[in-house]
Amino acid sequence: MNLNVEAEKKNTYDAIVVGTGITGGWAAKELSEKGLKTLVLERGRDVKHPDYPTATLNPWELPNANMPTQEDLKKQGVQARTGYTIRQSSKHWFVNDLEHPYTETKRADWMRGYHVGGRSLTWGRQSYRWSDLDFEANLKDGIAVDWPVRYKEIEPWYDYVEKYIGVSGQVENYPALPDGKFLPPMDLNCVELELKKSLKEKFDRLLTIGRTAHATAPLPHTPWRGQCQFRDLCIRGCPFGGYFSSNSCTLPAAEKSNNMTLRPHSAVYEIIYDEQKGKATGVKVIDSETGEQLEFYAKVIFLCASTFASTYIMLNSISKRFPNGFGNDSGELGCNIMDHHLGVGASGQVEGMEDKYYSGRRANGFYIPRYQNIGKDKRDYLRGFGYQGGGSRQGWGRAVAELAIGADLKDYVSHPGKWSIGMGGFGEILPVHSNRMTINHNKKDKNGLSVIDFDAEYKENEYKMRKDMANDAAEMLEAAGVKNVTKRDRVDGPGIGIHEMGTARMGRDPKTSVLNKYNQVHACKNVFVTDGSFMTSASCVNPSLTYMAFTARACDFAVSELKKQNL
Amino acid sequence: MNTLIDRREALRKTALLMGAAVSASTVSAFLYGCKSTPELNYKPVFFSEDQARLISEVAEIILPKTDTPGAIEVGVPNFIDTMVKDCYNEEDQKKFLDGLAQFEEAAKRELGDSFIQSNAEKQLAFVKKVHEEAVNAAKVDSKLPRPFILKLKELTMLGYFVSEPGATKVLQYIAVPGAYHGCIPLAEAGNGKAWA
Repeated sequence: MNLNVEAEKKNTYDAIVVGTGITGGWAAKELSEKGLKTLVLERGRDVKHPDYPTATLNPWELPNANMPTQEDLKKQGVQARTGYTIRQSSKHWFVNDLEHPYTETKRADWMRGYHVGGRSLTWGRQSYRWSDLDFEANLKDGIAVDWPVRYKEIEPWYDYVEKYIGVSGQVENYPALPDGKFLPPMDLNCVELELKKSLKEKFDRLLTIGRTAHATAPLPHTPWRGQCQFRDLCIRGCPFGGYFSSNSCTLPAAEKSNNMTLRPHSAVYEIIYDEQKGKATGVKVIDSETGEQLEFYAKVIFLCASTFASTYIMLNSISKRFPNGFGNDSGELGCNIMDHHLGVGASGQVEGMEDKYYSGRRANGFYIPRYQNIGKDKRDYLRGFGYQGGGSRQGWGRAVAELAIGADLKDYVSHPGKWSIGMGGFGEILPVHSNRMTINHNKKDKNGLSVIDFDAEYKENEYKMRKDMANDAAEMLEAAGVKNVTKRDRVDGPGIGIHEMGTARMGRDPKTSVLNKYNQVHACKNVFVTDGSFMTSASCVNPSLTYMAFTARACDFAVSELKKQNL
Repeated sequence: MNTLIDRREALRKTALLMGAAVSASTVSAFLYGCKSTPELNYKPVFFSEDQARLISEVAEIILPKTDTPGAIEVGVPNFIDTMVKDCYNEEDQKKFLDGLAQFEEAAKRELGDSFIQSNAEKQLAFVKKVHEEAVNAAKVDSKLPRPFILKLKELTMLGYFVSEPGATKVLQYIAVPGAYHGCIPLAEAGNGKAWA
């Protein structure tokens, strides 16, 4: 008895944060800096900044020209569906699909890594604010449920996280894409500047440099981070701390507070619910190295394990009070899977400007914010899309199917080729109840836990939108004088955008949503869910900045509620 | 006048003087102006030695030694052996080997001798011809499956331009650029060469 009490005491904290990715890192920092003894649980291995094994390797130091082997594809065939994740320089940041399988009633692409930092190490770093165009969309369209928040409430939290992480970008005064607290913008290159001009003149549309979480100026509040070195090797992890990751930024901050305990190899699979208290008291964990089962306790629990993983933990937490999954009075838990649909756009060649070039490798491109269904621009579908794209001069690859050979070939490719430019759309996906995940008890992962089954698909609204995503791109390029414009449209599974969202949505009414406006479980006030699962709709902009803003806000709220003894 | 018979006789005598028997193929090589079997600078794992020799010879024709190293010197043949072994699936491996066999047969028909035994001029002319046909066919129909010679060219270029000499001597490469300048005169972009 005494032993158990001792063990329980030892395993008791003020707060538990599940996950160390973009939102887990933020929750760890905010809660521990606000004085809570915070246990941070990560299911994968530890990764300490700046120990990224491939980060400084030159092209000739990587085997197989950085391409995946057949052996790699056997182990990581699902993770390789993006076409860019499983390379010799980055495969260690993605799971072994044989050890961590899921099932697909319909195809779904779930890209993830189990290690400290999660996908904050490998994310695309594009950082855009939502506007009320997004927050009001569900209400106006009569889709799903209304967001319980508006831009004004989130704006100060966008300010707060942007200043901390460092976002490079250009102020544009474009209402659908609110400006932020920007570090100096990166350059557009010659052909991108031409396209920008043409878009303004011929379409009255905006093209701006991508807003990206790169330090283009010193960040004095995190002096251990350096600036972006324009190596464009971000997916390997940046030893300079040039872009924002949990490892380079929020976790070191949390560690400085002396209030954080980080425990890797700790796969949380269940929330412990106390029927008498009507509260969650802790979490159950499997040590993924030893297989040992453990319990940890706290006053407040933050689920930041990523959309599907947090929702899995909730679906897997069955009690008398919650027979259908934790906090699932609404029946919406696991439903409304969203992502951004992409892989569709156009590209072509630009004649001339052969006396112009660029230097450095910019891990960023241009952004054309959404212009559809705004003002007079009406489409035959709801919502819209933005474009991300870039221009460059062709490299040696152009010469494979050209006539040069021998010494001529060497000479030919030593000169940069023609300019080319292209763009791809990021389209909003509507929340649909039937797009859902469930737990499949017929298949187990390497820890013996049941796996997720996905049953989600794009619907008519997305397919209609894709036509415009290809056609508008081609039209804008052609109007700018781009030659040999070709359209592309490759449909992959939901999840390929790696922006999965929506499976524990927030809303005003506990009957139709899982979380309230502070990311707090309606039916259990001491549990917060702040990763992408809270998203009530998807917008068309990259979501991570919004997750961070809501996470910081939820932490602030949770600590003030704790002080008021409301949790 | 130096007749065929004279040369054959002369060779036999030389061989006898050297105390070695001369094989029929070596005799034939000398007689018809062919070269000896080229050396391999690595041990192939996927390819046979003869296949590896052919790949080496063609790779060096695609990217020869000039004032910068050639494909063989930077290790391209070894790279191709590893890539086809590790990164190609079985179907693509078979296609590659079939393509290689067809290339060899066509060379034999055209040159009257195996590709690796043919002299440099004949090899070059044959590779140029096959390459030109492939490039022209691809221009007519870009959806055609990529023929062997262009697969080999692509692998050669890939191996060459990820190598240090390829990336730094033929192209230019800076490990840590430190800044990005988006639109500058070509002459001011490093040394003005294409970036690796």
